[in-house]
Amino acid sequence: MKLPLAILLAGAGLAVAQVPDPPAPVPVPENQNPHSSGGEQKGGSPGATKGNSSFLGKDVPFLDPSGEIVTWDGKNWSVTDNRLLSARFEKYLNAPPQTTEADREYRQIISRIMDCLAPGRVTPASQDEAFNLLEKASRFPDDSRLCEAIAFQVIAAWQARKNTERILIANKNLEAERKRLEWNAKLAAEGSMLQSSGGGPKKEGYAAEWQKQQQTKRDMELQPLLTRIAEIQAALKANQLKREVAELQVKIEFQGLIVTHFLQRRYQHAIIGSRFYRSVFTDGDSQLRVGEDAKSLFSKTTGMPPTLGTLDSLANEIMRDVDEGIQSFKYLMEKGELKSASDRLLETFMVGEYMPSVRTLDRDSKRKALTFVQKGRQLISAIEVKDYTLAEKLVQELNAMAKDVDTSKATAAIETARQVAAMHIAKARNAAVSGDKATLEAELTAAAEIWPRNPELKTVSERIFDQGDVHARALVDLEQLISLKNYRQIYEDRMRFIAAVSMHPEKQEQLRKVLANMETIETAIIQAQEIEKRGDFAGAWESAERAFRQFPDDSKLNQVRANLTTKAADFVRAIRQAEELEEKKQPGSSLAWYLKAQKKYQSSEFAKQGISRLTKEILPDAT
Amino acid sequence: MWIIVAVLLVVAAFVGSQLFTHMVSDPFRTTAPLDVRAYLENANSLRGNVYKIEGKVEEQLAWSPTSGRLFSISVGNGEDVLPVLITTQFNSENIQKGQRFIFLLEVTDDGMLRTKALTKA
Repeated sequence: MKLPLAILLAGAGLAVAQVPDPPAPVPVPENQNPHSSGGEQKGGSPGATKGNSSFLGKDVPFLDPSGEIVTWDGKNWSVTDNRLLSARFEKYLNAPPQTTEADREYRQIISRIMDCLAPGRVTPASQDEAFNLLEKASRFPDDSRLCEAIAFQVIAAWQARKNTERILIANKNLEAERKRLEWNAKLAAEGSMLQSSGGGPKKEGYAAEWQKQQQTKRDMELQPLLTRIAEIQAALKANQLKREVAELQVKIEFQGLIVTHFLQRRYQHAIIGSRFYRSVFTDGDSQLRVGEDAKSLFSKTTGMPPTLGTLDSLANEIMRDVDEGIQSFKYLMEKGELKSASDRLLETFMVGEYMPSVRTLDRDSKRKALTFVQKGRQLISAIEVKDYTLAEKLVQELNAMAKDVDTSKATAAIETARQVAAMHIAKARNAAVSGDKATLEAELTAAAEIWPRNPELKTVSERIFDQGDVHARALVDLEQLISLKNYRQIYEDRMRFIAAVSMHPEKQEQLRKVLANMETIETAIIQAQEIEKRGDFAGAWESAERAFRQFPDDSKLNQVRANLTTKAADFVRAIRQAEELEEKKQPGSSLAWYLKAQKKYQSSEFAKQGISRLTKEILPDAT
Repeated sequence: MWIIVAVLLVVAAFVGSQLFTHMVSDPFRTTAPLDVRAYLENANSLRGNVYKIEGKVEEQLAWSPTSGRLFSISVGNGEDVLPVLITTQFNSENIQKGQRFIFLLEVTDDGMLRTKALTKA
């Protein structure tokens, strides 16, 4: 509750615009967050008073219009971004307009009271009517029984006035008694004088003694009268003092109530109280008896001494300003300028929360403003937490909603973050390609710090880490396939394995050999197929068989060889028989089979080699 | 009738003369011919035996001054080709490709066909 009051007082100065020497704006230290309530102000505010103060804390609230920062009690408060105010403002924006029959009746009563007490039109009858309406108005919930408080204060004032009158009558009687006693005393004094001058001894010594006795006698007669007169005079003075003190006390209480209503932003109640005050206390004393701090506050914000007139004037000016703010809001809403409209409504709300024009504002307009305000806050939060994706979306929405919204700062922040993050991501990608894990980690961390929820970062990270997983899986597969001698599978997935071993030099050599062997197998298969196309089945078989003997586990080669074995069955049988017998150390029969094979296929390398081998075995010294 | 009997006698005389001529021209007619199939399947089973073959010289595979010459000889209808070692004792014989010979052969311990005698067919 204190904060709105502080803002009100600070804002009051702006409303009347009568600050002769506006103080310099309060700089917000960089290490303080103006959005949060609690930043200590080191230098103190310009309006601060020295020493301990009891009124509104140590400092007088001060509003810096350039930054919408209120400085109070050594702390800085952001007017437009404060949780307390935001909550209150949102509550208002969501509340239905106060346009019920009861609301209208209440406003009419308040209006009637003000009319009855209007300067120039106030009469004892209108004053009584206004007083009676106070009780009626206080029954409405919106009044919060403020009218009742005014009524009590008026009654107290009237009673004080009545007591004063009774004291005056008592004083009058005392005055008459005093005059009578003074007369008696005068007569008593004169009688004594005659007696003393007319008689007594003539002798000088006796005469002096007699004079002395006479004087004592006179004093004894006058003493009671003089004592009584002194008592009456004291009573008169005491009554006068009592009257003045009682009246002053009531005045102070009444003024306190009026100031309280003003500070509560219940301007109508402040004005009603002020007018009742003036009608009750007609002595022309309208000076507000408030503390030095409050005096300073009023004089610095209004440029005028603190009087009921000042307060009345301020309240009227603020009421006018609030009505103007609401009109401005409606016009700006019509023009689609939601930013300005929302700002004007917030300003107006802070100053004139309880004014009829504010309370009766239609809900649809308020909801539009609320949506805009919420999105604005979301944008600030999104940028604060570096969620630039959301921020970008909100910027687009805000631009679509309001013609006057300035999103250049947000856009600049988003673009900067995007570019810097993209730079780090590019470096991370390069590091991933080159296998530089340290740089990769550093660049990804840097990119994440700039834009934690960057979708590109997520995609690239996933790709890089997936790549890592793929490589790891590929390495496992490679080892497994090598152990199974399934080189065909390795050859068919060679791109995957080449990428996988890029960062593992020890595996590269292993893979290179496998792929070289597979190249040989593939070449043999192609060669066999080409020879087969010419109808040379035996030659094709020899080509496949030669590769098969080197790589007997290749399934494709096996298949090709098997097919060709069928097509060159006799030749193959001759070669196999020859080899079998050669192995059994039967060179004669073996040689016969080689010769038979050669007969069938003159170009047979197997036959030629077999014959050559066996010939050398049979005739070691042959030339 | 007499004519038919006369023709049959002439044919019988011709066949008889041919058989006689053949028997007279094969000096190893008492030697069993080599069972080429059995030899190809398992020469070890024929080790130490002596057979005769008639075949055509295909190619000289090798020549050893100490052991002789190794020839490939096609036998039968020419499908089977046998390696025949013609020892040095027949160095005087001119053996050329395409010539037909009748060989008297011994199956050695290592299954080779070593020539014991030969004659042109």
